[in-house]
Amino acid sequence: MEPELAVALPAAGAACATALRPRPRLALGLGALLGAGGVAAVILSAPGAASDLLGVTLSLSAPSRSMLIVAAGALAFVVILAPQNAERSTLLRWGLAGLAGMAAIAVAPTLDVSVMVLLALVLLQVAGQGRRPYARRLRAPALAVALLGLALLFARMPGPPALQKLGAVGLVAGLAAALGTLPYMHEFDPDEPTSTSPIPWIAFVGPLLAVVVLTRARELLPSAGGALGAMLIGLGLINIVWGCVASWRTELGAAAWRYSFTADWGLALCGFGLGVSEGQAGALLILYSILLGRLPLYLWSRQPLREKIQTDRPINLLVAAALAGSAPFAGFPARILVLRGATALYWPLALVIAATLLLWVPSSLRLGRTMGMPTGRQLAGIAVALALSVALGLYPQPLLSLAGQ
Amino acid sequence: MTEAAAFAAWLGGAIIVLADGRRGLALGLALMAASLAVATFMAGQQVGAAALLAGGIVGSALRYRSGPEGWGLMQPGSTPRIILTIVIGLLSLYLALSISTGDGGALRFAALASIALTSARLLQGADRAAALTAASALALALGAASAIAPAASLSACVAAGIVAAGASTLSVIEPSGA
Amino acid sequence: MPPLALLVPIALPILGAALVVLLRRNEGLLARAAASAGVWAAAVAIVALWLPVRSTEELGLGQLGFGSSFELRLDAVAVVFSLVVLLPAATLLALQPRTWQESTVAVLGVAAAVMAVEAGGVLLTAIAGCTAATLAVIQLDVEDLRAPRPSWAMLLAAWIALAWAGVILQVQGGTAIYAAVPVSAMTVPVFALTAFAAVFGSGLLPWRGWASRLWSRPSLRAAGVAVATLQPLGLYLLVRAYELGDGRYPHGYLHLMLAAWGVLVAFGAAARAQAATTRREYMAEVLPGMAGFALMSLAVGSELGLVAALILIATSAVIAVCLPLLPERGGPPSLLVAAAAAGVPPGLAFGGRLLGLSAAFEAGGGMGLIGLAGVATWLLSAAAAARSVGLPAGRGRPATETFPGVAAALGGLAVVAGPALGLAFVAGASAAADVMSTQAGALENGVSSIVTVSTVVPVIALLGPLLLMGAIALAFAKPVPSVARSESHPPLFKLYGSALYSRIAEQVRAAAVPGEYRSLFNPGALESAAAGGAPLLWLASLVALAFAVTR
Repeated sequence: MEPELAVALPAAGAACATALRPRPRLALGLGALLGAGGVAAVILSAPGAASDLLGVTLSLSAPSRSMLIVAAGALAFVVILAPQNAERSTLLRWGLAGLAGMAAIAVAPTLDVSVMVLLALVLLQVAGQGRRPYARRLRAPALAVALLGLALLFARMPGPPALQKLGAVGLVAGLAAALGTLPYMHEFDPDEPTSTSPIPWIAFVGPLLAVVVLTRARELLPSAGGALGAMLIGLGLINIVWGCVASWRTELGAAAWRYSFTADWGLALCGFGLGVSEGQAGALLILYSILLGRLPLYLWSRQPLREKIQTDRPINLLVAAALAGSAPFAGFPARILVLRGATALYWPLALVIAATLLLWVPSSLRLGRTMGMPTGRQLAGIAVALALSVALGLYPQPLLSLAGQ
Repeated sequence: MTEAAAFAAWLGGAIIVLADGRRGLALGLALMAASLAVATFMAGQQVGAAALLAGGIVGSALRYRSGPEGWGLMQPGSTPRIILTIVIGLLSLYLALSISTGDGGALRFAALASIALTSARLLQGADRAAALTAASALALALGAASAIAPAASLSACVAAGIVAAGASTLSVIEPSGA
Repeated sequence: MPPLALLVPIALPILGAALVVLLRRNEGLLARAAASAGVWAAAVAIVALWLPVRSTEELGLGQLGFGSSFELRLDAVAVVFSLVVLLPAATLLALQPRTWQESTVAVLGVAAAVMAVEAGGVLLTAIAGCTAATLAVIQLDVEDLRAPRPSWAMLLAAWIALAWAGVILQVQGGTAIYAAVPVSAMTVPVFALTAFAAVFGSGLLPWRGWASRLWSRPSLRAAGVAVATLQPLGLYLLVRAYELGDGRYPHGYLHLMLAAWGVLVAFGAAARAQAATTRREYMAEVLPGMAGFALMSLAVGSELGLVAALILIATSAVIAVCLPLLPERGGPPSLLVAAAAAGVPPGLAFGGRLLGLSAAFEAGGGMGLIGLAGVATWLLSAAAAARSVGLPAGRGRPATETFPGVAAALGGLAVVAGPALGLAFVAGASAAADVMSTQAGALENGVSSIVTVSTVVPVIALLGPLLLMGAIALAFAKPVPSVARSESHPPLFKLYGSALYSRIAEQVRAAAVPGEYRSLFNPGALESAAAGGAPLLWLASLVALAFAVTR
């Protein structure tokens, strides 16, 4: 029953929050209650245990479950310590809708259903009011759905091994298109509301989607594992370099943040592509740090970015250190794990990855300044984000155990 | 019959690519839904076929009621789109029948061609009605593609039907300022 | 003592930092007291943990999740380096006024450095060391954003290199715990990464690196704590490398290379010191010079060399306290500190250098030649110290930061403690035994004399009378009047090329493309190409991927 509730309760919460828009406090309260119920269902569910309540077998794998819990935690603390000028009920509404979709993707019996849910999420997201034309907002995510669908089709077609490899191409390209990483970047308007921008894909839904797709990919494409890994590593390295350099050199602060997500994803893709457990663990840790660190920090930076405030106070420097993957923050052990996986596999790859790790420094210093002079709720939020990052950086074992690592 | 259904699926997709008016879009969606349902039915997935058909028909009916007026078929400047539909058809045929082996070639062709055509329509940057119709058709195509692996296709077909119908309920009016 | 007590020296500074934050509205004495109390208490805890037992204590708290377990270890080497980090930091935090933010960051950095020293494995050392380096950079930026500081990227690179070394040890040897790594896993690449981390993490460079440039900051509050925290960590890594390699480095030539590097570092510092135009410029080269000698001694590969290095490191810790407390003007405090650092007999620095050079000569061959170079460097640094007495003051610092009396007392202590070299030697030898197996008869522990393979150093008999003579000379000495810059003694030799190098470096830093230049690197253009208009890039990428995997 827990998998069903994990989807239904957040969905109900999002629906209530939408219906009660004229009464934001009630929407917030009811939405929060239902959302908390959904999270409780996720926590109480046993990883891998199947549920047949609706006549369809639903189950939640350990990595997906851990990602849902972390995403829910990120949503909770962003709503509680909401950024300036952001309405909590709106944040909660969109967050719960995303969470419900993510839960549906995670519990789906097959990858086909997950892709279908993804399409539904895409359509719901682009239905919101954005600054970019509708068709442009829809293109990249819809392409992602199509490519994933093609991948599944090729994976099932009987025939030569080349079909499996084409399936792997579709899977990797589809995932990149869903996330918005290079070369399938989504168009980005810095003034667009976050809910309808590409950020939810790369920073909120993306981590769970990647875990679900890549966990099932190896079962689906048994003879194309090498090709899959190679593509992930190749795209990963390209995204690291491009993301870091673009984040440093681009003129707009909001665009710099977007590219910083791309860079983090590059490292995560490398971790997934290594195919060894350490690489997977490192990738998961990076995704956790995106959800609990980079995404909330981005949200809190939006107001200072609009006001063009940049400062170099201790808090800005600490944020820079966290974003750069320096110890004691979560990025450092993630990098250790990825390096370990790469060293075990092929040490020149570890050398390349190690060399790229320094690229985060200049962009992080820039991004740290964009936090401005935080006060009140914003300062509390940043402090919580940094504290979580330190906890994850020094002792990631609990979360990794939750993910079955 | 399966071959005819596969061809009809391609035709439905081609109509969606070439049509700009709500009648043309509705026709293309309905044709694609019916043909994919037949192909899925012939592959042994009766309930799945029913779900696809139901979702496609509902979506088509809703599309018929909202969107740009008329058929909008083969508007001036649509030659590249015609060529695109033919190329996609030929490529899909090659992949489904020549590269891939075994039975069920027609269903493979139908699914492949439908996914490719609807993706092309989405990438064209069409207006909302056409984009949403293409999204509905994409859902149906993905549902039909899942029938190639019979073990777990029912839930996918049902989900496809729901998404296909649901997409057509979304507003086609572009809000001001976007 | 329960093993959990090993956490106390790390927890106490953190507690001190928490108290500083709580007391932040009282930015005066209370906050300063809280900061320094935490660090002093940690130093006391280290001694209290070690003295009753005087053997290695370990604590293991299970897996952390990144392939390393939380293992702490307190052996004699860890005690020495912990005190080397804690005591200077505690003194500076107690004496110098700073904002609550600076105090907090400084104390947390000290806690991280202690954890790096107490860590039982390479990975935990890397994490803690990187934390200490990051906090040092933040501390320096908080004090003054525009003043010179270490390149954060370079420090990060150093600790990432150490982390990678730990990872390779895990992959090849199954573990990165110091006491458990098989000797065969300590290969040349692993050592190279460790040495890279040590050299760049500590700023042990023959050219004017951050360890020298830090001293040109307007205020030396953060610089003092940063150097006291970071510089010993690099040398610590090289000491632990002996343990990993069962008493030696993976290959003989590595000893030679590292020793040569050490002499180059010392020579570079000495050359710059003798060409200094102000006392501040001279003082900037003191610690790098001592660190160079320590590195040279450490790299010899014998127990004598290692003990000599430990003595020099301990003396550097004393000097690291003195330098930030010295005023710019001349006088007895500057004289005493300069003498202590330069290795004027009978000081500890003199004894340490003497033993280090003896070790090099005992090793013979190429190491002997390096020893000769070391002697020449020592003479140069002594000349530079002598010249520095007549140098004019530098840019000036707030008087509230300077404590000439304390600096003079500590500098004097480093000089008069020379006859106690035997005691220092005994302590150093017990620490060296943790990482290097001692050969029977190689060294005979003695307080009054130090017996080595080739010689006997009568410590008390030699250095005692020298101390007496020095005291008499000081008593009859007259103060040297301060001189104008134009009247100071010319350097022994000019650093040809240094001005040119500085100009080139400045031009490179200030280089910018012309305003008319349009970069090929245009993220916005790529984004438009990818996401807007025709999706050609997407399709091309798809085709390229398909082509790549199906070949």
